Amino acid sequence: MLNYLEILDRANDGTYLTEENWDLEKVAMTARRLVKKYKLEWNKDELITDDAQLSEAIWKAGYEMAVELGAYSRSTERIIQLSQDEIDNGIRNMPQEVVMGEGKDARTLYARHLHDERAPLFFGGSPGTPIPERIFLANVMSYMQEPLIDLATCGTLVEVDGREVRTGNPIEIVSTRRELQYMRQGLKRVGRAGMGMLAAQSSVSELGDLAAAHPDYLRKCDSHLVPVLNELKMDHRNISRAVNSLEYGMVNASLPCVIVGGLGGGPAGSAVVNVASYLVANITCLADYHILHPIHVRHVATSTREVLWVINATAQAFARHAPSIIVSDIYPKSGAGTKELLYETAANAIVNAVSGGHLEGVGAADGNAPNCSGLEARLMAEVALATHRMKMSLKDANQFVLQLLPKYEHVFTQDGNPGKPFDEVYDTVSVTPLDFWQKMYDEVKTELKEMGLQL
Amino acid sequence: MTKSEQLQAISNAVIEGELDDAVEATKAALSENIDPMDILNEGLMTGADEVGKRFERFEYFLPELMLAGRALKGAMEEVKPALLSKYAGATNQVQGKVVSATVQTDIHDIGKNIVSSMLTASGFEVTDMGVDVPLKSIIDKAEEIGADVICLSALLTTSMPFMKDLIKLLEARGIREKYIVLVGGASVNETWAKAIGSDGTAKNAADAVKLAREKVQARK
Repeated sequence: MLNYLEILDRANDGTYLTEENWDLEKVAMTARRLVKKYKLEWNKDELITDDAQLSEAIWKAGYEMAVELGAYSRSTERIIQLSQDEIDNGIRNMPQEVVMGEGKDARTLYARHLHDERAPLFFGGSPGTPIPERIFLANVMSYMQEPLIDLATCGTLVEVDGREVRTGNPIEIVSTRRELQYMRQGLKRVGRAGMGMLAAQSSVSELGDLAAAHPDYLRKCDSHLVPVLNELKMDHRNISRAVNSLEYGMVNASLPCVIVGGLGGGPAGSAVVNVASYLVANITCLADYHILHPIHVRHVATSTREVLWVINATAQAFARHAPSIIVSDIYPKSGAGTKELLYETAANAIVNAVSGGHLEGVGAADGNAPNCSGLEARLMAEVALATHRMKMSLKDANQFVLQLLPKYEHVFTQDGNPGKPFDEVYDTVSVTPLDFWQKMYDEVKTELKEMGLQL
Repeated sequence: MTKSEQLQAISNAVIEGELDDAVEATKAALSENIDPMDILNEGLMTGADEVGKRFERFEYFLPELMLAGRALKGAMEEVKPALLSKYAGATNQVQGKVVSATVQTDIHDIGKNIVSSMLTASGFEVTDMGVDVPLKSIIDKAEEIGADVICLSALLTTSMPFMKDLIKLLEARGIREKYIVLVGGASVNETWAKAIGSDGTAKNAADAVKLAREKVQARK
């Protein structure tokens, strides 16, 4: 494996290029060329493809992009070139299993294959969503207490002790540690103290992340995020997160949030960029697993047709050609207390489960407001497990998703559908859904059963 | 070529994002004594409007926007002297100077890039300072270039407070009234934009351009 100091050397000594030229001349032009070369086309009615040749073409194009471009250091404005051998070694060395958590609550994340006999695992929480401190604990407990949830994640504390949190300010250290204190407290209170976490979500700069690398906060059996910047870029601040965990030993989760409609162009080019991002992140992020979270350039949500296609294309490309641990974020447009949130969650869960991903969510309301609860995460897990139990074919899964789309696509043409905050859909003392929210969930579940989903 | 064909060629070059073609077509039109205001409005702006529409329809993506912005900027360099000589001050009546930046501690740039490209493609003179830009540097740059508008972007909720800090800093320096301060980002909404004392926000790049145009024109 490439010595990490070598990566830093390349960031310091690589070929100089302006960021604009990296974006346009390298990423955008390469994506365009590869989409043409491999004749890649997305299909708005085939969001889950069973075309093995298309999957192979996407894999080859992403691989070619990673070898050709490498990564870009925004801090030094230089290219971190990676050789084909290094990319290949990165693929070979990707962990096939990672144990997270400890004791009876430990879970083994594994590299899923297409039609894998093993069920996917579930991270419960609304990752990165701003959550007020007064409801933070009850909110994370609403996910942790769900029996189907295997691993915990959380939102971001936006204030501590009534003070606004600012990135890079000393208060970021306080907020990240406070978040972890609530997380550990929540796990104890639901009787799952050993559950593994993907946390330190309140650490936006490296400050909080470094401050949380301590057994009282993030344990070695927990994971943290090492972002890849849009697109195929790193900077010293984010590299510091990976370097810090080299000796401490936390699990590194790479996070490239490829913009669909961004530098990669449409869905086909964006899938190519996503594949390349993982191949680069194997090395530059020291990734143990990857988060799959493409973002729609206008609608943000992962439940749009374009993003569902990219999720499927990326996860399938790896499941077929280089199985790696991929955890797919669900970030619907709608918020808690709306039926649309449940339909969006179901569609996303089906796509993620059959494409070779584990699941994380639900980042309701685009992750913009504290309008999220454990109930939609319950549905996420139930739907994914149903598709797994049914051994759903890719074709059938696509049909289910096509039936769900008309139930929620109107939210993309209206001014959002944010729903209600956590404390208006849950009793925050008993941490149970309020009647109206429970009823909506029951009704949608009945509908899904009537559609043929064996819930 | 007829005048209409020449203006169409300029418009097409912007739509296709072809910098060299846009510059050459603009030069050719000027040499044929086509009114520079027509080149601006019926050539460049017509192309820019079409680019915006295609982006809204998800037919064009960020690279096309950036290339169109480049083409328009190059062509504007050619047409600007002619506009200034024929319509003294006219360019300042139809466009404004913008400083755009993602505020300190936030390194997300896609939203800002889209707005910057759309503003450029709509005839604004945009100084894009990049990401993670200290507040003092943004204000200093606005002062240096005599900006009309300061566009601030933040995706992170924990970086958004710095937008409020910038406005407070402008007030402390006694120069708040000199600038239209527009804010944007995934978590920014109208209520928040108003609460921090900004001059507004928009829910997408096309609306941001409209808002900037309205605000600049209202001041003139």
